[in-house]
Amino acid sequence: MLFFIGQVLPYIAAAVFLVGTCLRVAGWLRVPVPFPLTLFPAASTNAGRVLAISREILFFDSLRRGEKWLWLWSWLMHIALVMVIVGHIAGIYYLAKQFTLVGFSAEASASLSAWLGTIFGAVFFVSLLALFYRRMTIPEVKRLSDPADYFDLGLLLAIVVTGMYMRLVSGADLPAVRAYIAGLFTLHPVPIPQDWLFISHFTLVNILLLYFPFSKLIHLAGIFVNQAMITQPPPVYPPRRVNPTPAGSSRSVSFGEGGRRL
Amino acid sequence: MKDKPPMYVAKQADVEALGFSFTPEALQPGRALEKIGRLRKKMRSLMVMLETCTKCGNCAKQCHSFLGTEDYYNFPAARAELFRRIYKRYFTLSGKIFGRFAGAEDFNEETLGKWLTYYYQCNECRRCARFCPFGIDTAEITIIARHILSELGIIPKFLYSSAVNMAKTGNNMGIPKAAVIDSAEFMEDEMREETGVDIRIPVDKPNSDVLYIPSSADFFTNVDTMLGAAKMFYVLGTNWTIPSSVLEAANFGFLFDFNVMKEHNRRLKVAAAELGASLVVQGECGHGWRAAKMYTNALNGPVPFRLLHIHEFCDENLAKLPLKKLTMRAALHDPCNYARTGGIIEQPRRILRVCVTELVEMTPNREDTFCCGGGSGILMDEMLDIRMKLGKKKAEQIKAVGDIDYLVIPCSICKAQIPAVLKHYGLDNKFEMGGLMDIVGKSLDIKKT
Repeated sequence: MLFFIGQVLPYIAAAVFLVGTCLRVAGWLRVPVPFPLTLFPAASTNAGRVLAISREILFFDSLRRGEKWLWLWSWLMHIALVMVIVGHIAGIYYLAKQFTLVGFSAEASASLSAWLGTIFGAVFFVSLLALFYRRMTIPEVKRLSDPADYFDLGLLLAIVVTGMYMRLVSGADLPAVRAYIAGLFTLHPVPIPQDWLFISHFTLVNILLLYFPFSKLIHLAGIFVNQAMITQPPPVYPPRRVNPTPAGSSRSVSFGEGGRRL
Repeated sequence: MKDKPPMYVAKQADVEALGFSFTPEALQPGRALEKIGRLRKKMRSLMVMLETCTKCGNCAKQCHSFLGTEDYYNFPAARAELFRRIYKRYFTLSGKIFGRFAGAEDFNEETLGKWLTYYYQCNECRRCARFCPFGIDTAEITIIARHILSELGIIPKFLYSSAVNMAKTGNNMGIPKAAVIDSAEFMEDEMREETGVDIRIPVDKPNSDVLYIPSSADFFTNVDTMLGAAKMFYVLGTNWTIPSSVLEAANFGFLFDFNVMKEHNRRLKVAAAELGASLVVQGECGHGWRAAKMYTNALNGPVPFRLLHIHEFCDENLAKLPLKKLTMRAALHDPCNYARTGGIIEQPRRILRVCVTELVEMTPNREDTFCCGGGSGILMDEMLDIRMKLGKKKAEQIKAVGDIDYLVIPCSICKAQIPAVLKHYGLDNKFEMGGLMDIVGKSLDIKKT
């Protein structure tokens, strides 16, 4: 069992996550966009378009224009998540000495790393709770929610709770974790650390990765595809220089079943 | 269908006469699924918009339809869920495996009944898209759902009738060409009396440079809009005409069937070629502008003419127009299909600043505007009660601007809906209202030219 969880599941999860997400996005991109869905005011240059999409992705502009609390909690949640992921990569790779690269002492780096991890972990936890509470208390949102919506939040909460428990209470053996992860990446198996908290934390993350491409979490990719659609430049008339086409002829997108008399 | 739809639905024989095939009730969900399967391979929007919603609920408080009716299914995400749950069940892996847990649901006649009821309470104003962090556009889902309903032979009588009128006469109201010419002559007489000069409203005049596509309502109910346009063309010395074959900016096909929309745009293309026009100017109609601007290229192939909205045309020629300021405090309502969907945002403001002494803004305005509640072809009388609820948010906005002399409602549907809404909420008789070209017409100092 430990062998499966430690040496098989991570590869399955990573493969499903990467391949599943790519296939999903490729499936969208294969389908044409027959009509421009420009939402005005639209940027007239590519740079403007990139800027608009970036603002949306970095600051959640549309949400901020709407419900302020929702914006605050979801923005904090996502920012904290990104910081936590970055922190994991840096903290594990450099064994919490990542800040020595910018001049801190090894102790100061470890302490800063711990503080940042604690702060962003706490923000992540609290904002997830806030989003959970919101989903249960706004009548129309509650009615709209399916078990899966609570499951997503619950899964993330379970991940953050096990992680924070290791950070604040039981501690984690960073060098052992590093050796294990390095083993996974270099295909030189190292046994998974025998710490049931680490094992549950790690397994929950694997479940999240497995589940990701099939769930609404795919919004991570959907936002790019969707925003690209609604920021499309509007059509211009006449479209470039065209040879006058015979009246009534049409290169057409057909949506009909044929035989329509209209 | 268990729920009685809020509107009259066209009879089987009638929709068949129009060329639609009619599917018997028991077979409808199955046929609809085939159509969803086909459309998801043709329109990326359908796939991505159905697959990326996180159900955050931000759209609820941004939708005038939900705010006005307080009906759960008019909450944009819930409206989209009527489609999304089915889609998940039959077209996604998670829905097939996890079923209800993932929010998937079997398709049956009851859900299809809800489609008819609720996809026709969406005004397709796209305000939800503006506030959705992913840009999910419920209007797009509405458009596709209505198209599928139409392909099953389920078409509201009101939309069916306008399509029949359009096919017969070239306009939604069914006005025959002789009556159009009569009405044009009557308006010419009126302008002669008022200004002392001969201002023409030419119909089907060959070798015209500009094709003007008014809303057919401009011939009878919104006459001042037509007068404003005619005066402006006169002052500019434009060689223009109105084509009787497409005497209608409104393209109701856009609101229920892509092919009917395509036919309308085809007429436009043919008329421009026949009358020799190199510029087509669309009159004051919101969704018609969207249908022409955003769909003609894709549906009907590249067109050889330039296409402008009359506000864009007026704005381009603003310096050439002898406009004198009318002493009035005017408020501007941004039609949703101009602001969010058609890029007509600053032009009307620039025009108004020249024509009136004071322009006041509503809150919110521009691309954040609330729809009047009449858009997307639901002006039918039998939906009046619902329409008044849909107009509640607009009424509150108008009330909040305080004392005004004139309310600019530059779209034919707004012109039909807003006066009724104001009457319903006890805000009528406080000010005049009408189109933007009406104001331009009154502000033009014709005698001097």
